[in-house]
Amino acid sequence: MEVLELIQSNLLTPIVLFFLFGIIAARIKSDLKIPEAISEFLPIYLLAAIGLHGGVEMRNTGFERMLVPMLVAIGLSLLFTLNHYQILRRLGKFNLYDSYALASTYGAVGAVTFSVGLSFLRDQGVTSEGYLAAVLAVLEPVAFILAIFMTNMAVAKQLRTKRQSSGGTESDVGVQKMRLAGVLRESVTGKAIVILLGSIVIGYVIGSEGFEPISIVFEEMFVGAIVIFMIEMGVIAGQRLEDIKKVGVFLSAFAIVMPTINGMIGVLVATAMGLSLGGSVMFGLLLASASFIAAPAVLRHAIPEAKPSLYITSALGITFPYNIIVLLPVMFAVSTITHGPEAIDLFRHVMGGWT
Amino acid sequence: MDVKLYKVKLLTVVCEILAQKNVLGILERHDIRGYTTYEVHGKGARGIRGQGLQNEKNAKIEVIVREEKLSGVIEEISQTMFADYALVLYVSDVGVVRTEKF
Repeated sequence: MEVLELIQSNLLTPIVLFFLFGIIAARIKSDLKIPEAISEFLPIYLLAAIGLHGGVEMRNTGFERMLVPMLVAIGLSLLFTLNHYQILRRLGKFNLYDSYALASTYGAVGAVTFSVGLSFLRDQGVTSEGYLAAVLAVLEPVAFILAIFMTNMAVAKQLRTKRQSSGGTESDVGVQKMRLAGVLRESVTGKAIVILLGSIVIGYVIGSEGFEPISIVFEEMFVGAIVIFMIEMGVIAGQRLEDIKKVGVFLSAFAIVMPTINGMIGVLVATAMGLSLGGSVMFGLLLASASFIAAPAVLRHAIPEAKPSLYITSALGITFPYNIIVLLPVMFAVSTITHGPEAIDLFRHVMGGWT
Repeated sequence: MDVKLYKVKLLTVVCEILAQKNVLGILERHDIRGYTTYEVHGKGARGIRGQGLQNEKNAKIEVIVREEKLSGVIEEISQTMFADYALVLYVSDVGVVRTEKF
């Protein structure tokens, strides 16, 4: 019952209400739209706020304990991406390109989802580990790099076998290699990672004291800024509602089931690693979220053969609303249980059995 | 008025904005240094474009080229991009005053 109540109260937060409102506005063909400059600015602002906040927290609590969660997050992200690929390719019967593009979209992280998660935790009066902002930054390119690498390998293999039989050209392989190098450079110097890492460092340098004078912009306006961005997200999701039919039943189910499994694994693993209640929720959310701002920009160049209508529509039209409306409160409830006194006793009991 | 106009070609490419970089790369490889780009909206075979996210816009690229270079550029664009990107290109005749610029 408690989970339903959480979902219900989450449904009535400004973030979710404005998202739904945006969808309605798009459905009634309103010309409502957030001015372009602002909708481009907001993701940068959100990342700067996440980074500063994380950096300040890291100065207060230290980041020595960051290494293990970060490596685990990278490992899980890679594992999930490969798992997604197998499911999409074998069960979903998608072609190689679409499978890898979708696998990495769902293996990658969503910064907007992360922002909504932070705001949700704030509503619940719970904090999370600051170093998760750094995990967000590191995870951003991981899934894409893997998927692009795997695609290139598969394509190169195809070309080799083709050349053996009919004599193809060497230049095709060269094109593939160029793509990977370009993507590596672009994703590491891309604006999302640069602003996030820059803000983490600055947050760490300035600490709480230095953050004080700018907290009105980066702390108090944070949720309000998400709300404005949600209007835009809602409008875009609303415009794409027809496309969801084209996504098909299999991918629609995938877009809900996969984040749920990944997110739950994330919450449990984070709890086992000793992350806090809120930190475990954010860790789960990192693994559950799909990328819809970075993904098209990266994948359109790296795997142009994949259909963007599939990965954008499923990530933005299905997974994003599901994550912020349903999965986030569910993961919070699960994390509350795993961090409850009984669970800790059980945990100690289990651990006690080991020693 | 007795201005001498030299005949050159105007190549116009309308494509999804994420394909713009590829087109500009091809121009670079063919040693074409000058071009003009616009952000545009419109509707085509792949539906209405230009709504929503910045990545979903269309770009229009205009390049003035000498006729000798034109077929090489068009060939590379059609071979490497037609299959995967939303892209339309067309060529028109234009006259310029200073031919040494192109």
